[in-house]
Amino acid sequence: MQITSSFLLSLTTFFYLGAAAVYLLYWIFRLEKVGLLATLITISGWCIETAGIALRWKESYALGYGHAPLSNLYESLIFFSWVTILVYLVVEFKTKNRVIGAFATPFACLAMAYASFSPNVQDTIQPLIPALQSNWLIAHVITCFLGYASFAVACGFGIMYLIKGDGKSGSLLSALPSKKVLDELMHQTIIFGFLWLTVGIITGAVWANQAWGTYWSWDPKETWSLITWFVYATALHARFVRGWAGKKIAYLSIIGFISVIFTYFGVNFLLSGLHSYGSS
Amino acid sequence: MNSKKAESKSNMILNFFSSVKLAITLFILLAATSIIGTVLPQGETLQFYLENFGPTYFKIIKSLQLYDTYHSWWYLSLLGLFSINLIVCTIRRLPYTLRLYQKDALDLSKDDIARRPFKRIWNIKGKADDTALHQRLRSLFEKAGGKVKFRSNVQGGELYLIEKGKWNYWGVYFIHVSILIIFVGAIFGTFTGFKGRIMLLEGETTNQVMRVDQAGNIETIPLGFSIRCNKFRVEFYPSGAPKLFQSDLSIIKDGKEVKKKSILVNDPLSYNGITFYQSTYQALPEVLVKITASNGKQELLRISAFEKTAWPGTGLMLGLIKFLPNVHGAPAARIYIGDQAGNGDALWLLKGHDKEYQAGHTTYRISLVGGGEKYMTGLQVKKDPGVWIVWLGCTMLILGFAVVFWVPHQRYWLWIGRGSSDLEIILAGQTNKNKVSFEKHFRRLEAEIENHIGDA
Repeated sequence: MQITSSFLLSLTTFFYLGAAAVYLLYWIFRLEKVGLLATLITISGWCIETAGIALRWKESYALGYGHAPLSNLYESLIFFSWVTILVYLVVEFKTKNRVIGAFATPFACLAMAYASFSPNVQDTIQPLIPALQSNWLIAHVITCFLGYASFAVACGFGIMYLIKGDGKSGSLLSALPSKKVLDELMHQTIIFGFLWLTVGIITGAVWANQAWGTYWSWDPKETWSLITWFVYATALHARFVRGWAGKKIAYLSIIGFISVIFTYFGVNFLLSGLHSYGSS
Repeated sequence: MNSKKAESKSNMILNFFSSVKLAITLFILLAATSIIGTVLPQGETLQFYLENFGPTYFKIIKSLQLYDTYHSWWYLSLLGLFSINLIVCTIRRLPYTLRLYQKDALDLSKDDIARRPFKRIWNIKGKADDTALHQRLRSLFEKAGGKVKFRSNVQGGELYLIEKGKWNYWGVYFIHVSILIIFVGAIFGTFTGFKGRIMLLEGETTNQVMRVDQAGNIETIPLGFSIRCNKFRVEFYPSGAPKLFQSDLSIIKDGKEVKKKSILVNDPLSYNGITFYQSTYQALPEVLVKITASNGKQELLRISAFEKTAWPGTGLMLGLIKFLPNVHGAPAARIYIGDQAGNGDALWLLKGHDKEYQAGHTTYRISLVGGGEKYMTGLQVKKDPGVWIVWLGCTMLILGFAVVFWVPHQRYWLWIGRGSSDLEIILAGQTNKNKVSFEKHFRRLEAEIENHIGDA
């Protein structure tokens, strides 16, 4: 049997589903071996996904199109899950806390499942239309999705922060990192995501200027990325206002991610504009 | 600190906070109001809004200029307020940051050091004169990384300092100023540049650009040179999706071709600060006819839509009204034929069936040789002298973020003092970012010193 990229990427979906479930078990039972298993499943899934993306790239050359697999909704969802897992693994490695996995891997799993099983998402390799034939495509997509993935992880921290509540009793809640640590992690991932979102908006502007002669045209996708930028700018500045740290920033990290999702999907499906090729 | 000083300081902090509050208010307002323009269709005629939304909403749309949300008076005012907020905030904070920046971190008392967020104090009995231990502690301290600064006689002890990333203080200024620079670039570009369109048939030349202003009037802007479309090419993938749009353009100045380029969607042509972008195209019908006069004169003529073709030397004018590529298996065309005075006729030509036209004493026999398409390329034309200012701002913005994110301001202090018989040691640390990772480093250093003291 010939192994195809679609097969590897479908397989990845199940690995991430498994990882999310095992991380959840680890959170409940707190057995180190279970935690290690969850990490191993995640790393294996990520390696399979990497191979799948590389194979898809190769397949596009075999079809005579020859472009990086970052050109449509299916490919961007795959890339989103890939970066989300990468960002999460870095966070896990740095914090040595595996409970976070129960809040981060589901985002990657959902993105993969949506890409693989939704009838709205076409998984065929399509050639690039003239507007997309640019070296800026790779820079723009990679930077935007580094931002989106960081915001997904920050949203996970926000949810953890909120369910931690006063964090007094309950063995489940006490397993979560302390509020101080969560607040700091949330802040760090938001700055990281904000940096990449900014670079993503700028690379998009440079590209638009080269393709259409305008670096900013208030197209719905552009405007929504700016709205997202304002939400996270609020979260970053809120720290300097007395009484705004912690809980309010946790809410903002969730609202921000909703705005990311709308920028990503809502604009494609509900509004029309220059980015319409991202919708199929 | 006396009370007056404290008051002015708290006043300053209060002002600072109030302007951050204003910034947050503006962020939220801008985020919320920006949604309007993504939901409500923009740039339509007023009639459109009246018909689709009814008179009540129309009043709101008209008075708040919601048909062009992002250029409405109130949205621009919000952006203006945002700029003022940035400027005031920057100017207000500048002296405060400058003082922080210039502050000598060695200029601290022993008690000041002991009040840092991260600290550890040891008292080692009977080791007051152990200079070797003192030396080893110093070299352990170097492991924090960076240049060690030193000051003796700080309350009877020696103070060592490692300070990193002090210029982190300026990262935020970089970011804020770069946003202002982007605004300046955008405003400068709006007032000194223009944006327009050109539609050019293959072979056609123009020296002006069309621009539609907000009232819907068409105005023309002279280019100062001419541009010619030599050829246009369009290609499709087997699926029908477009693969290539390409215009071969020439710039002509004083009758000479000075520049030539084949432009693509992502590869425009620039000349004299004006850039031409491949934007759209139109396919126009074109036919080839053979025309024979009764006096034996003969000519092949190419006739296109939207322009009249003359047969030189005869005074005959021809034009294409309609082209049908397939009528019962053969191409057909309706053409206009006449003289310069405006007398003429419209004729249907079917390939293989010639038609005759009488003008004066001459009879012309016209036959359709073939037909096809001729392309008209649509170019977006732009002059934007402010774009480089915008790119400068963007570059600074990214650099500013890199400094803020990757260069935390970190300080480590080590104070070693000799009592009558004890050696007193204080290790302290402070960071303005990423406390979690700093704490880890600090604890590691602390543990190393602890181990060492244990061994000693």
